[in-house]
Amino acid sequence: MRILRRLADSLRGLVHPLAALAAGLAAGAVAVIAVGGSVGETYAEMWKGAFGSFYYLTNTLARSTPIMLIGLGVALAFRAGFFNLGAEGQLLFGALAAAVAALYLPAPPALAMIAALVAGIIAGGAWSLLAGWLDVRFRLNLLVSTLLLNYIAIYVCSYFVSFPLKDTSGSAAINQTNMIDRAVWLPKLFKGMSVHAGFVLAAAAAVLLFLVLRHTVAGYHLRMHGSNPLFALYGGVRRGRLMAWTMLASGGFAGLAGAVEVLGTQYRYIDNALTAPGYAWSGIMAALLANSHPLGTAAAALLLAALQTGGMGVERNTEVPLEIASVIQAAIILFISARFTRALLKRRKARAADGTAA
Amino acid sequence: MLLQMEKITKLYGDVAANAGVDFTLEEGEVHALVGENGAGKTTLMRILYGEETPTSGTIRLRGKELVLRSPEDAIRAGIGMVHQHFMLFPSFTVAENIVIGREPRSGILFDRKKAAEEAARLSAEYGMPVDPHRRIADCPVGIQQRVEILKVLYQGADIIILDEPSAVLTPPEVKELLAAIRGLARRGKSFILITHKLQEMMDVSDRITVLRDGRVVATVRAADTNVDELSRLMVGRELVPLEKRPARPGDPVLEVEGLTVRGGRGKAKPLLDGVTFTVRAGEIVGVAGVSGNGQTELVEAIAGLRRIDAGRIRLCGRDVTGADARDLRRHGLAHIPEDRYRWGSAKEESVADNAAMGHTDSAKRSGFLLRGRLRRMAEAWIAGFKIKAESPAVKAGSLSGGNLQKLIAARELAHGSPLVIAAEPTRGVDIGAMEIIHAGLLKRRDEGGAILLVSSELTEILKLSDRILVLYEGRIAGEFRADEATEEAIGRLMAGVTDHAEHAVSAGRAGRSDGADLAASRG
Repeated sequence: MRILRRLADSLRGLVHPLAALAAGLAAGAVAVIAVGGSVGETYAEMWKGAFGSFYYLTNTLARSTPIMLIGLGVALAFRAGFFNLGAEGQLLFGALAAAVAALYLPAPPALAMIAALVAGIIAGGAWSLLAGWLDVRFRLNLLVSTLLLNYIAIYVCSYFVSFPLKDTSGSAAINQTNMIDRAVWLPKLFKGMSVHAGFVLAAAAAVLLFLVLRHTVAGYHLRMHGSNPLFALYGGVRRGRLMAWTMLASGGFAGLAGAVEVLGTQYRYIDNALTAPGYAWSGIMAALLANSHPLGTAAAALLLAALQTGGMGVERNTEVPLEIASVIQAAIILFISARFTRALLKRRKARAADGTAA
Repeated sequence: MLLQMEKITKLYGDVAANAGVDFTLEEGEVHALVGENGAGKTTLMRILYGEETPTSGTIRLRGKELVLRSPEDAIRAGIGMVHQHFMLFPSFTVAENIVIGREPRSGILFDRKKAAEEAARLSAEYGMPVDPHRRIADCPVGIQQRVEILKVLYQGADIIILDEPSAVLTPPEVKELLAAIRGLARRGKSFILITHKLQEMMDVSDRITVLRDGRVVATVRAADTNVDELSRLMVGRELVPLEKRPARPGDPVLEVEGLTVRGGRGKAKPLLDGVTFTVRAGEIVGVAGVSGNGQTELVEAIAGLRRIDAGRIRLCGRDVTGADARDLRRHGLAHIPEDRYRWGSAKEESVADNAAMGHTDSAKRSGFLLRGRLRRMAEAWIAGFKIKAESPAVKAGSLSGGNLQKLIAARELAHGSPLVIAAEPTRGVDIGAMEIIHAGLLKRRDEGGAILLVSSELTEILKLSDRILVLYEGRIAGEFRADEATEEAIGRLMAGVTDHAEHAVSAGRAGRSDGADLAASRG
């Protein structure tokens, strides 16, 4: 009985995102028509670009990896009621630390890889923890501090890779570190495909985070604090400690995202390579779309990645410009976040009630 | 007949909040609406005030059918409502608050002078004195309520709904309010009164309608009934009188010495000023007072939720001054908070999660929650405290106020801790829930718990306490033994009358023997 009801609940939960997807595609169709493209062709290319072949599918999975990890970290902070918008800076420091560890740590390759991942987590976590400390110590608004710390991180990392760590061996047009030794790279999941072991880490992290939130005392305290901080305080939860651990873990996820991008996709730290695709903001978006549910965040990360790879497919194969693909993405996201179906249903119910009352 | 509500039914999903309710109101009548929490009073009044549309049923005003889609519709039809929580702008004057929404204008500007004149005219016409130029923030609660009623009158209401109007008033203010209601009724205004206080209602009403489980159980003339019959009708069974044995106080559990909490910046007056008292094991110490005299600060300071500026607090012989809630709970504090939504619960989370707060230490294994054990614990409380909840998985916010309060009381009493702070433990809950919570507190006392009961409900204080302190403007204005306390004597101290000779024992017990409220007469 209870299982049935739960099943019905989760099915009902699917109605809304699917309807939003449909509405977003419809709105996107208007944009496509406006620029004179063919709606059918555009969406066909979009589907192909995201899932059309094994190659494209794995490409989408690869792109979702950093978004998913960042999204999980953001979701964790949001669930605790902390508005950590510093994912970008945490991502960059994680990536840089991982690259440095992978390049310069004198250790056997397997160990160096693990050390690089850990370095990424620590660097991202520490940068995030700094914002938490500023809040606890100086009552500096977390939203503001995390946002501003992003800029510091961007320029600091840019400096390191432009001067002390710059690869001077190759054609020096790009600011980047040296190439990491092939033995230290994260293994690919399939030969010749871009998806790497980082995706498995991200998927496992989503499940792990779900279990931690649901089944541990710490997760319970965190959820209660996010739901009503005064209730948590009253029940004996210590805000400062909770904040420190949450921010550390939240930034750690973003740092790990940076590390797996470096070790699994780029094999070096390249200036702007992580900021240009907007991974951090996509991650935040994924957490927001899923209402900070860990498994939902993972699913939303996949969706966002698919929209992006699909959009590239549209650009490659049709006359429709990439901007229109972005419009479609934005429309879908807007409709999902609008939660319009529920409001619509409510209004219809109210109208029915009016009818019988009159 | 002024107003007829016929066969009003309101369904929320499968649950009927109102099921075929008939309710009538005559011109110049005071008609009280009573019932336990969740009986459907609020729903019925929300329908009448246009905040809800009924699933079926009709409303007729002077014989004409009325469709209300919003409070604006209701106001236009001459129906006004004064909510339990006042909706006034504290930094504006009395006159400005009265005319809000229908401000007199001169050209495009707000005509402040006209507004003050209007306010003064209304005030004189209805015999409810107010100073139109005074800021709301400077008015006592009784005056604020008067302003609320004047505001509704200014909007042209002939029917005035009052939701728990006396909850925040001192005894003398209640008397004034009741007199004002009678006065307005004589001038042809009609009142619908929602209240839990049966005696008060008997004094002021013409007719009384009792709701239970969304249905009308009875509509009776106040003259033909009595408090006992009403409470039986409300609860649907005989109430068991609470058995209270004499207290056997033991060692001091809570010792508060010179506790001082200063006001915010620029406020000269401290919120708490050198408060000193002791609560021993096995006794209930009641703190009486009109809300806003430092009770909130006192409770929060002892519970580790507010910084104190001076003084010491000892719990079970240990100095806990400045300790946080975590340490205090570990050293023997349980706390039923004053505001169940602000402090006591997380509305969006499940009943099971809300029940688990503070109990995780005893239901964990290496950092993991023993969810099964927590769930069984919650289920036991739901059964033991007769909490109406479909299952521990539903959101706490879906529970009615009284049921959520029972859950919180159950959760805190279950610790069996040496000290229980019970702050307004039965605010806004029905008689059945009150009985259960009171019984729970007394049981804890008899088991040797020290209980600090803070309540603005004098009858509750008199019913449960072994000793009574009166808090007035942040100081303890007096102390009584339970057997020498009278409602009059305490009421005077609550109102700030400083003539200490007055609270001598000889004043007798008129206040209690009258059975001023069901709670007291049953106590």
